[in-house]
Amino acid sequence: METVLTTHFADDAYRRIDVYRGFGGYDALRKALSMTPEGIIDEVKKANLRGRGGAGFPAGVKWGFLPKDLSRPRVLVVNADEGEPGTFKDRLVMSRGPHLLVEGIAIAAFALRVHRSYVYIRGEFVREARILDEAVAEAYAAGFLGKNILGSGFDLDLTVHRGAGAYICGEETSLINSLEGKRGWPRLKPPFPASVGAFSLPTIVNNVETLADVPWIITHGGEKFAAMGVEKNGGTRLIGVSGAVNRPGVYELPAGTNLKEIIYTHAGGVKDGKALKAVIPGGSSTPVLRPNEIDVSYDIESMAKIGTMAGSGGVIVIPEGTCMVRALSVLMNFYAHESCGQCTPCREGTGWLKTIVGRIEAGKGKAGDVELILDLCDNMMGRTICPLSDAAAMPAQSFVWKFREEFDRHIGEQKCPYGNRF
Amino acid sequence: MPTLTINGMTVDVPQGTSILNAAKEIGVEIPHYCYHPKLSVAGNCRMCLVEVEKFPKLQTACSTVVADGMVVRTDTEKVRKAVTGVLELMLTSHPIDCPICDQAGECGLQNYYMKFGLHKSRYALEDKVHKKKVQDIGGQIVLDAERCILCSRCVRFLDEVTGTRELHFFQRGNRSEISIFPGKPLENDYTGNLADICPVGALTSKDFRFKCRVWFLKAFDSICTGCSNGCNVDAHHKGDILYRLKPRWNDAVNQAWMCDSGRLTYKAMNEARLLTPFVLEGGVRKVAPWGSLLADVAFRLKSAAEKGGPDRVAVIASPQSSNEELYLLRGLATSSLRTGNLAFTHRVAGDGFADDFLIRADKNPNSRGAELLGIPGAAAFDALLSKIAGGGIDALLVFGNVVGALSEEETAGLLAKVPFVAQVGTNEGPVSKAAAAVLPSASVAERGGTFTNHAGRVQRFRSGFPPRGKARNPVEILVTLGNRLGAGWTFAGEASVFKALAETEAPFAGMTYDSIGMFGQEAMCPRK
Amino acid sequence: MSVAFSEAARAEFERLLTRYPDRKAVILPALHLAQKEFGHVSDEAIVYVAELVGTSPAEIEGVATFYTMYNRKPVGKYHVQICRNIACSLLGAEHLIEHLSEKLGVKPGGTTPDGKFTLSLAECLGSCGTAPVMQVNDDYYEKLTVESIDAILDKLP
Repeated sequence: METVLTTHFADDAYRRIDVYRGFGGYDALRKALSMTPEGIIDEVKKANLRGRGGAGFPAGVKWGFLPKDLSRPRVLVVNADEGEPGTFKDRLVMSRGPHLLVEGIAIAAFALRVHRSYVYIRGEFVREARILDEAVAEAYAAGFLGKNILGSGFDLDLTVHRGAGAYICGEETSLINSLEGKRGWPRLKPPFPASVGAFSLPTIVNNVETLADVPWIITHGGEKFAAMGVEKNGGTRLIGVSGAVNRPGVYELPAGTNLKEIIYTHAGGVKDGKALKAVIPGGSSTPVLRPNEIDVSYDIESMAKIGTMAGSGGVIVIPEGTCMVRALSVLMNFYAHESCGQCTPCREGTGWLKTIVGRIEAGKGKAGDVELILDLCDNMMGRTICPLSDAAAMPAQSFVWKFREEFDRHIGEQKCPYGNRF
Repeated sequence: MPTLTINGMTVDVPQGTSILNAAKEIGVEIPHYCYHPKLSVAGNCRMCLVEVEKFPKLQTACSTVVADGMVVRTDTEKVRKAVTGVLELMLTSHPIDCPICDQAGECGLQNYYMKFGLHKSRYALEDKVHKKKVQDIGGQIVLDAERCILCSRCVRFLDEVTGTRELHFFQRGNRSEISIFPGKPLENDYTGNLADICPVGALTSKDFRFKCRVWFLKAFDSICTGCSNGCNVDAHHKGDILYRLKPRWNDAVNQAWMCDSGRLTYKAMNEARLLTPFVLEGGVRKVAPWGSLLADVAFRLKSAAEKGGPDRVAVIASPQSSNEELYLLRGLATSSLRTGNLAFTHRVAGDGFADDFLIRADKNPNSRGAELLGIPGAAAFDALLSKIAGGGIDALLVFGNVVGALSEEETAGLLAKVPFVAQVGTNEGPVSKAAAAVLPSASVAERGGTFTNHAGRVQRFRSGFPPRGKARNPVEILVTLGNRLGAGWTFAGEASVFKALAETEAPFAGMTYDSIGMFGQEAMCPRK
Repeated sequence: MSVAFSEAARAEFERLLTRYPDRKAVILPALHLAQKEFGHVSDEAIVYVAELVGTSPAEIEGVATFYTMYNRKPVGKYHVQICRNIACSLLGAEHLIEHLSEKLGVKPGGTTPDGKFTLSLAECLGSCGTAPVMQVNDDYYEKLTVESIDAILDKLP
């Protein structure tokens, strides 16, 4: 099976620029510099490259949102704030193939007429930031970054900027605020970053994997990339499988691979020969699926059809014997911990959900608590500046809808039937 | 101009107007906490959610700019549930300590709860997040973090208006709270505004704390007398006691703000007031009836002028007096007494602090008015003091409580050189201690009139209640005195004086109380 | 008591300033630097960074307390942060947390009396494919077991 990103990831030395170039690295940049910016954007549009950060917005279309007016400098910000529970693919790209990202950034910057770019990497990724810093230094030394790249007259400065521990900074306007040295509060939109973004300049924010796909698209053409996937979902996807599977890890698979196949064929099925109880398919924010729902194409539209999302490509496998109330409680703690506190419904709602689910799990649930969760979710969804409120409410809602009997049993018996353990 | 419909009503508003403000135009109130017209739009309280046709999600009315043909509804079940839901969430960790909260009666939470909430609490008391109460954070402000709904108005005010940023959000999620950095209290001259803009009882005024329930207070339009900026204020009183001043919005003068020292000027209207006319005899104060005292003062001024010539009498005017009072006083000095010894107290005690916002170095509300009415200032005032000090004055009428920046001792020394000193003043001070006759006058809260601010804007202040004690309106005092000196005035009240003034004084030509209106009118004079 | 960066840190701060069009953008990197220099982000460090950047200490405090990585209080020589999120929990993180607490004799949030270890619970560290995971200072330790935790901690000088 052809791969776009991970082809040489087994090779430790691939992160070095000489080895990367030995495999044709930076040829795509050379080619791109001979193309027109519009030509590059067209190629990316043809590739059906959908944003890999979670929202799945077509990358080429997003690039088209920058104002035509070139009088104000533009900024390209790379979202490497990978933090959605269940998601760990960008970390792999940055640690195994940092030059894929640097080359992708350089090509995108040229296409977007950007001369200043930042990789915003989550603060905990100290090692990956160091690897990226080294790659950036190598690229500067080799003339792929800096002034007059490859004699093209194109200049680009790239800076690796570390976050400091905040899930919300994965939301692009929060990330921009954080980059500017502020609290990571998401911004009201409009204005969208493409018109007023980082440092009040027109800004494009792209995910790591999205940009790392770009060199391959330039080398092989957008159509070939599109053909690897399914309709509207081009290329391959890096899918992280975690939880109770025999072979957890990142798998690069054609967009639209069957979810069941991902779990059972690629990740080796449920650990310890257990039956499957549930799957969180696209990172912790996505509505949970029951075992009978996973025979589905893992692409954005097919997942939406069954009421969930492929999100950031993080498949979390939950085995039989797991207390779903406890599992939800872990997630609710997370969202309450990560709510930025700006909007009332999210700030108070995530805290309240944590309290209610926590007390149900502790055997202290009250009659009406399940209905309260659902009503609260209703009051949280679509009511805030950014989607974190929805991200907390969606799992809560779906856990209750699909595993209601477990919640009722906890409340009825005033104890956790699973003994308060995973 | 985009045209849109809100709850079925059509409204035209200028390009760029928010739904919230468009709704206001047609009397549709959209509840909100974080939105404040004078601050940037934060959109984070989420109270102003409305339905907009073609938008799948509810939109915040404060941040959504209207578009032509937009169809907005604020009265649907969906909106009602959303707003109630937000309010419920806002109240989850609120201490509900209204009985001991100064904000009660003017609290956004109380008001909207009555209008949109009225729900039973589904939130367990033991789950409430507790935060620090009663923190003195400097300036005029006490912070109760538990009552805070984190609307960010205060943080934006300190960022966008004062630029001092003493308050910020700390922590995140439902642990978020606003606070100062330890040991770095509020350090700007506008802290009192924080209590005004706080929609709940989180930031309250130290000065007003526990003084009076707000529903007992009545308000009237006034002008701050703390400096020459002339900030528009609402004066709040119960009976004849003032409790606080709050900025009254006037974009041409003070927007929605006022300074901290101006905010406390009301205290002088309550405390150490001159409330009874009296004379000083052998160092002892003797209460005197108004009628005979006015006659006596007029007689002493008149006989001094007749005996030694008009140059032996003098009048010191006050830039704390209104245009109307200064106009009469000028007439009294120049026409009735025919003296050239008229000047207004140009210099005042104090540091003369000024900034580039609302605080002016001149701590009087009407120096410009005095100038425009042709009452001599600086040099003439100094010359007059020299004349007095040299024993050149036999009878002196002083308006105001101080003579320039002179201390009590200096004032006593100076006034001792004059055989007869009469004062028209509001408060005990250097002059009242030295004057032979004291005529107590109404404070700015007890009389009406106009001041001309530093920029030449003529603004009205109103009387909130009748003069306290036996104090009298200075217009009345002046008319009586003037007539005893032969002025033949028929004025009744400040309005009639202003009418005459506008007829004869060029800078005020054509002005009427109506044309001055709520927000003032610029006099015809050079801009300073 | 005031603090100041070492010469090297000061030079790094100045280099950072050249990378952004706005001075405030260096707040996060400067706080990382401060933590490295002073062990934790003390009150004095907040005031110092505020001066360097040119804003109020309250604004810096607001930023510092928003992000979990800035330690406003001193931590042990080794800051052990173990993930408690879903992927790790499904693979036994709760048991490992109990083990760590017992082994170090401190509850999450606590520091050993000798100042060597601080134990904290972390939300998702972004390493779910190699769960359970912990981070000790800058380094990740993955696919943890009771035995591997013992081996890792016992080896730390």
